[in-house]
Amino acid sequence: MLKRIRKKQPVFQLFLWVYALISLYPLVWMLFYSLKDNNEIFVTNPFGFPTHLRFENYRAAMSQFNVPQYFLNSVLVSVATVVGTIALAIMFAYSVARLRWKGKTAAQMYVVIGMFVPVQVIMIPLAILVRDFHLTNTYLSLILPYIAFNVSFASMVFYGFFRTIPNDLEESACIDGATIYQTFRIVMLPLVKPSIATMVIFVFLAAWNEFPIALMLISKETLKTLPLGLLFFQGQFTTDWGAMGAAMMIASLPTVLIYVFFSEQVEKAMTVGSAVKG
Amino acid sequence: MNRFLGNKGAIALFTLPTLLLFTVIVFWPILQVFYRSMYEWDGLTVGQFIGLDNFARMFGDRLFYTSLYNGLIFAAVLAVLQIGIGTILALTIAGTAVKGKKFLRISYFIPVVLSVTVVCQLWLAMYNGEYGLINKIFEVLGLSYRQDWLSDGKTAIYAIAIVNAWQYMGYHFALLLASARSIPEQYLEAARIDGAERWKAHWKVTIPLMAETYKFCFVLAITGGLNAFANMYIMTSGGPGTETYTLTYMMYRSAFRVGEYGYGSASAAFLVIECLIVTFAINKLIARERIVY
Repeated sequence: MLKRIRKKQPVFQLFLWVYALISLYPLVWMLFYSLKDNNEIFVTNPFGFPTHLRFENYRAAMSQFNVPQYFLNSVLVSVATVVGTIALAIMFAYSVARLRWKGKTAAQMYVVIGMFVPVQVIMIPLAILVRDFHLTNTYLSLILPYIAFNVSFASMVFYGFFRTIPNDLEESACIDGATIYQTFRIVMLPLVKPSIATMVIFVFLAAWNEFPIALMLISKETLKTLPLGLLFFQGQFTTDWGAMGAAMMIASLPTVLIYVFFSEQVEKAMTVGSAVKG
Repeated sequence: MNRFLGNKGAIALFTLPTLLLFTVIVFWPILQVFYRSMYEWDGLTVGQFIGLDNFARMFGDRLFYTSLYNGLIFAAVLAVLQIGIGTILALTIAGTAVKGKKFLRISYFIPVVLSVTVVCQLWLAMYNGEYGLINKIFEVLGLSYRQDWLSDGKTAIYAIAIVNAWQYMGYHFALLLASARSIPEQYLEAARIDGAERWKAHWKVTIPLMAETYKFCFVLAITGGLNAFANMYIMTSGGPGTETYTLTYMMYRSAFRVGEYGYGSASAAFLVIECLIVTFAINKLIARERIVY
């Protein structure tokens, strides 16, 4: 009996659940207060389930905070980033992993540098660059840097997958008279599909949540993405906590849903980096 | 076959877009940071070459030392909390029969997928001196420990670092769990048969076997801490006063608020070198040899 208890480590089991509470309760609290009014949040019922579900907070968030516009911008920028990154990275990775040319190792090493440079460090030159190309306050001023920053990592992951594919596939495609482009499209792409799914999730989360570059390059209200648009504590609408909570719930919903439905793939997507960088 | 796989047109088409974009948007700006750190430059004109004067000025600037020190505190808080808690959670889940594993994993990881803005706003609400959740909890417990966590110069940097630690703990947890699961069972069994206590066994056997992952976690936590920016930008704007400045925040202020792009580039250049040194040191300190089972 004693042995069984020790094996189950009650203290550590308890810690698992206590930390789950620490991790989750702030979010539950946010969900609750997104459905309360100020009086309930501050005085009558700060911790528990709302006594009356005030969905009007969500309506207020949609109308007061420009949330639909931010949401649309985030979708547009994130989707364009995903498509651009995957397309560039997969072509690049195929070329350095399978094609035969001098300097491909050097090209690969060069692009890997991008994985070790924090975005914040190059904010100044990036801002100047965007200004000189007259891209200030355009969607492209976000999409192009997002692609450039994600392409290093994505191409390393695809590189790993392309290396595991046996050589005779291309040989038989060649003998059958296919061009290299057909081989790439018809033979190779379907084989790396699983890794494409993983990288779509990874890049989408990265783009959806990106903050410093957006802050630096976007000042126009109609182009703001959600992370930038929701800075209300610096704005004027600091009093209506319920509507603020509602806006934050709306902003978080897509990534949380993606995570809850594809939790294993998301964790895989996020942690695949350690294998590549380590 | 060589002609087939050595198709120059295809190679150019496949690689040039990536190389071009990467060079213009990532590589060229890195060079610019170092080059411009030696200029007095307002971002508009040609600027004037002044050698290492920016660095000399920086090493005499009190704000630089505040920023440097805050970066180190931030990094230490992240390393201790994220990797410490992550280790305990991951090894407990990997080593014991626990009910509700899936739920636990999801609850640890959910904050990772949220945007930094949402997390910071949420914690601003929690830290709020009057209505915040944390002060409410103290109130319920009957403690008159009401405090405005972010307005006190001494606690502010820790309060901010905890927010980041809270958000990304799950990431370290997931990395460590994946790593612990890849260790063959017999290593732990052997330690248990010898009568070693479980955590002693973890310390002696499991954790050293996970060295590669720990290396990555430490690099991530420490460079992440040194680079901290978004958290202070959203939560305190570097305040109260300049108490929560970091090097990135200093760079941001120098360039985009004061218009001293050269001086800002100098703190960015310093940050790059600092991160390289840390990454190198961690790789040296944590055993390098790959373990083959």
